[in-house]
Amino acid sequence: MARSMLIISRQSPWAGPSAREALDIVLAGGAFELPLGLLFLDDGVFQLVGSQRAASVEQKDLTANLQALPLFGVDALFAARRSLAERNLDESSLALSVEVLDDAGLSALINRYDHVITI
Amino acid sequence: MATLHLLSHTPFGDSRFSSCLPLLADSDALLLTGDATYALTAGTQPAAELERLPEQVAVFALDEDVQARALSALPARVQLLDYAGFVELTCRYQRVNSWL
Amino acid sequence: MSLLVDGREITLDKDGFLVDLADWNEAVAEALADREELALEADHWEILRLLREFYAEFQLSPATRPLIKYTALKLGAEKGNSLHLNRLFKGTPAKLAAKLAGLPKPSNCL
Repeated sequence: MARSMLIISRQSPWAGPSAREALDIVLAGGAFELPLGLLFLDDGVFQLVGSQRAASVEQKDLTANLQALPLFGVDALFAARRSLAERNLDESSLALSVEVLDDAGLSALINRYDHVITI
Repeated sequence: MATLHLLSHTPFGDSRFSSCLPLLADSDALLLTGDATYALTAGTQPAAELERLPEQVAVFALDEDVQARALSALPARVQLLDYAGFVELTCRYQRVNSWL
Repeated sequence: MSLLVDGREITLDKDGFLVDLADWNEAVAEALADREELALEADHWEILRLLREFYAEFQLSPATRPLIKYTALKLGAEKGNSLHLNRLFKGTPAKLAAKLAGLPKPSNCL
């Protein structure tokens, strides 16, 4: 049985390569059928905002990439309620279907996985 | 199924510390290394936040990093470790979450 | 490395993928397939077009499993399976079909 892994992505799409690196880990792991989860925490929840225009800063469209996660077999997608609220983001209008968790839910989530990587 | 959360960035002007604390379950533990040990500075907001954690949450700090920074009057709940203790601690928890 | 198609020089990387994705057209796909000794038929074109849709939607090249899933989703299970895709693209559908469809090399394809 493959060891499960939770990747915690806590940087915005525009704060350097972190958000992309987190996604690359998840896509690679998903392609190998590893049991993976992806949690958007802190500025990471900015990855979930729709209608971002990567081309205007000559970058690749991370939000478009995120839509492919279910096809890569990664369905365990989570976001932190506190992080969304702090940034005044509406849970119901995110660009990706995620399960929104409060602090206690996040503690429990982290403790469900064999490994955790925070990026 | 407890987690050891490992912080090494300063709590001042970096969000890792304040972001990590609410995620600690009672069985979890926090290990401060490097500039994260500045959270132990007496009379500061981060030190007060450490004191407010549920008492079941264990708080550790790497002794040499504490000494290097001349930190004193440490919160009573903090347990100081050397590197051997650090390694032993990482083995005691099911997983380690490093806030890179 | 380069490829001459209709008098136009097309630059390829060391693995034979297009350097400039905008160079792609059907004649380029035919020429790329020639290099792989593959004759493109209707079944191949269907997958190549699907891959280009995938790329337009997700801005990345799929690994094998997502390619199979996406094909099943769009064309049905008869075509969205590894047997069909492996047969069409010499056992390496994610890599070879991405190459012929003018997509970047799949990054998760080790």
